Amino acid sequence: MATTAQASLSFAGGVHPPDSKSFTEDQGIQPGPLAAHLAVFLSQHIGAPCQAAVQKGDTVEAGQVIGECHAFVCAPVHSPVGGKVKEISLQSHPVLGRSPAVVIEPNAGTQPAKPPFNRPQDFDPAAYESERICEAVRDAGIVGMGGAGFPTSIKIQPDPKNPKETLLINACECEPYITCDYRVMLEWTEQVITGIQLIQRACGASNVFMAIEDNKPKAIERIGASLKALGLSEKINVVPVKTKYPQGGERQLIKAALGKAVPTGAIPPNIGVVVSNVATAAAVAEAVVDNRPLTHRVVTVTGEGVTRRGNFYVPVGTPVATMIEHCGGVTTEAVKVVLGGPMMGLAIADLNTPITKAGGAVTVLTKDQIGKAKFERQETACIRCGRCLEVCPENLNPTKIAHAVKNNLLDVAERYYISACIECGCCSYVCPANIELTGYIKTGKIFLARQKKKMPG
Amino acid sequence: MPENITVTFAPHISKPLSTRRVMLDVAVALVPAIAAAGYLFRVHALLLIGFCVAWCVATEWVCNLIRKKPNSVGDLSAVVTGILLALSVPPALPLWAGAVGSVVAIVVGKMVFGGLGANVFNPAMVGRAFLTASFGMLMTTWTVPAPVDAGLPKIAPENMVNTRTQATPLAWSKMAIKDEYGAKIYNERQFAHTLTGTIGGCLGETSSLAVLLGGIYLLLRRTISIHIPLAVLVSAFVFAGIAYLINQDAYMQPFFHLTSGGLLFGAFFIATDPVTAPLTRRGMWLFGIGVGTITMLIRIVGEYPEGVMFSVLLMNAVTPLIDRLCKRVPAGGKPRA
Repeated sequence: MATTAQASLSFAGGVHPPDSKSFTEDQGIQPGPLAAHLAVFLSQHIGAPCQAAVQKGDTVEAGQVIGECHAFVCAPVHSPVGGKVKEISLQSHPVLGRSPAVVIEPNAGTQPAKPPFNRPQDFDPAAYESERICEAVRDAGIVGMGGAGFPTSIKIQPDPKNPKETLLINACECEPYITCDYRVMLEWTEQVITGIQLIQRACGASNVFMAIEDNKPKAIERIGASLKALGLSEKINVVPVKTKYPQGGERQLIKAALGKAVPTGAIPPNIGVVVSNVATAAAVAEAVVDNRPLTHRVVTVTGEGVTRRGNFYVPVGTPVATMIEHCGGVTTEAVKVVLGGPMMGLAIADLNTPITKAGGAVTVLTKDQIGKAKFERQETACIRCGRCLEVCPENLNPTKIAHAVKNNLLDVAERYYISACIECGCCSYVCPANIELTGYIKTGKIFLARQKKKMPG
Repeated sequence: MPENITVTFAPHISKPLSTRRVMLDVAVALVPAIAAAGYLFRVHALLLIGFCVAWCVATEWVCNLIRKKPNSVGDLSAVVTGILLALSVPPALPLWAGAVGSVVAIVVGKMVFGGLGANVFNPAMVGRAFLTASFGMLMTTWTVPAPVDAGLPKIAPENMVNTRTQATPLAWSKMAIKDEYGAKIYNERQFAHTLTGTIGGCLGETSSLAVLLGGIYLLLRRTISIHIPLAVLVSAFVFAGIAYLINQDAYMQPFFHLTSGGLLFGAFFIATDPVTAPLTRRGMWLFGIGVGTITMLIRIVGEYPEGVMFSVLLMNAVTPLIDRLCKRVPAGGKPRA
């Protein structure tokens, strides 16, 4: 992996897993397979789930609303294809276990190719009112495509109480293996830039930064060249940051690129910063300029456990099994299928789990990649070596929190700031005793939420 | 689709690091000190080290059987304890005493607390403390290193009765303090020897160069961090320096103190035991300053010529309090209520 000048902007802590991007970074985005059924979840975002707007047996068109919003923090869902609604049923979900989805049978012959985006010759973001942009983004059902899935229209809405002065575009893609955002930056460059300008217009930011990790020199160059050609080099500042996991965590990114710390318990808008993923920006451009809802995304299928690898443009709702089949199936050594990357991704049991708007990768891992001790989950005693403290990007004491949870001392866990944990996995990554620190901490958060009656159970 | 797909929490990859690897690093770092001990004190030294390691491992194995727990000797912590214990005792210590020390180190120093990770006190120092209290004479009988006395090429068990005892640098240091005279002379004559090890002392501590080599290896491999050794050595240096400035005839110069006795060995290998030292960086500084200061306090003001064992054990006792005192603040500051 050739890197040009090493960027120096960074944050304290973090780890350096091998980036494993060479599997797919040079593969252009290809049209993905069209599955026999698409299962579009009614909840693909943080906030209240949508209500189904269609019934079993209905015929739907591509882009038709199939899930409506009846709450503020919500984003509608649309049918990615023309077809028939087979049923509305519970489908496997990586976090919720099972979640209601609209299962659609596509019409025969529907091919999922990305429509070209043509940036208008005389494009001027000022021609769009902020309100109109936010409405278009909401109607298109755009959510944070970097993984969090927060409804974008709410994030970019101007707020007179907390003015959003800085827009920070997150193009880091710090997880190993994943290259979907990288390819989007290389291949849909103008679409991304258009989207960034629209987001800036919507939230009223006076400064725009785009942070890219320094292991992506081609992307840095490409974006820089496009900005220059469009005369926007002064308006959008490309900031190369040091390649380190989890550089793409918004709190770490704000620290590295802007030098500011987001207070514990607060979110970036509280300090006047809006962070947005590049793919989300691209989706915004499509929604506002071309009036297209968010129905497809680029997904990287990768890992040593799958026969072929690549970056695919697929409709939301495509089962993971279809994508894996399209890539030649899993190898005999495959032992884990992860939605997302190896550090924070969710391992799934049911391969019919569908792709969501916020899920950018399917990583199939072999036992070799996972490591014998980790695969067999042999935990030994904590030797208090302190490595987990050294790597924690939030400066916490992971071993103390994890052992407090293990011994059911949730008040101790709270006192050691369990709620400040971003679940990045750095602590578990380095632990010589192979303790599942992240797992204990996640479990502790759930126990605490139940205790405070914020969660059922 | 394969039937053997597993589902676990993230992260799904990890650094190839294990407790055993950490312990192996420490054992490797101790090789220069072991080699120096073998060169200076010949066969008996190596026998003693081997004996202590064997007894430590065997004791841990038996303890695991009694506790009905899976066998933990594979993590090599007992091996490291054995080496550390052997290197911290005088070279003429009989093998049976080494065995007793090993058993106490493992049982009282580690197993009764619940095994590795649960102990409060450094196991090797617990063993040594027991030996010092129980077999005082044996623990203060020093030997002339073989290279110094050509007449004693092998310090074999049969020679032990006839070994000529020689005061250690710290013993002279104590004499100088009492007489308020002689420090300058000892400084000039003996400093070079404290570096190479051709002086009296415990097995592992005489050759400062060998200890330093091992310490640097550990630092480069990032098995230990610089905080504790630096804090120990700097605070000891400062304390010794102040005394030296007060009276140069009574007190040895500070570098002499750094290279005499178990201070270097303690700074890099004993005080850095992760289980018994604080977790946070600030805590490590405090811990190291405590070890360095108390060691020098005992050496200069107290009756004992050497203080590393006691200072480490004392600071081990205070470690849980230090951890509580030096809590980390999250990167975003304390949460506002």
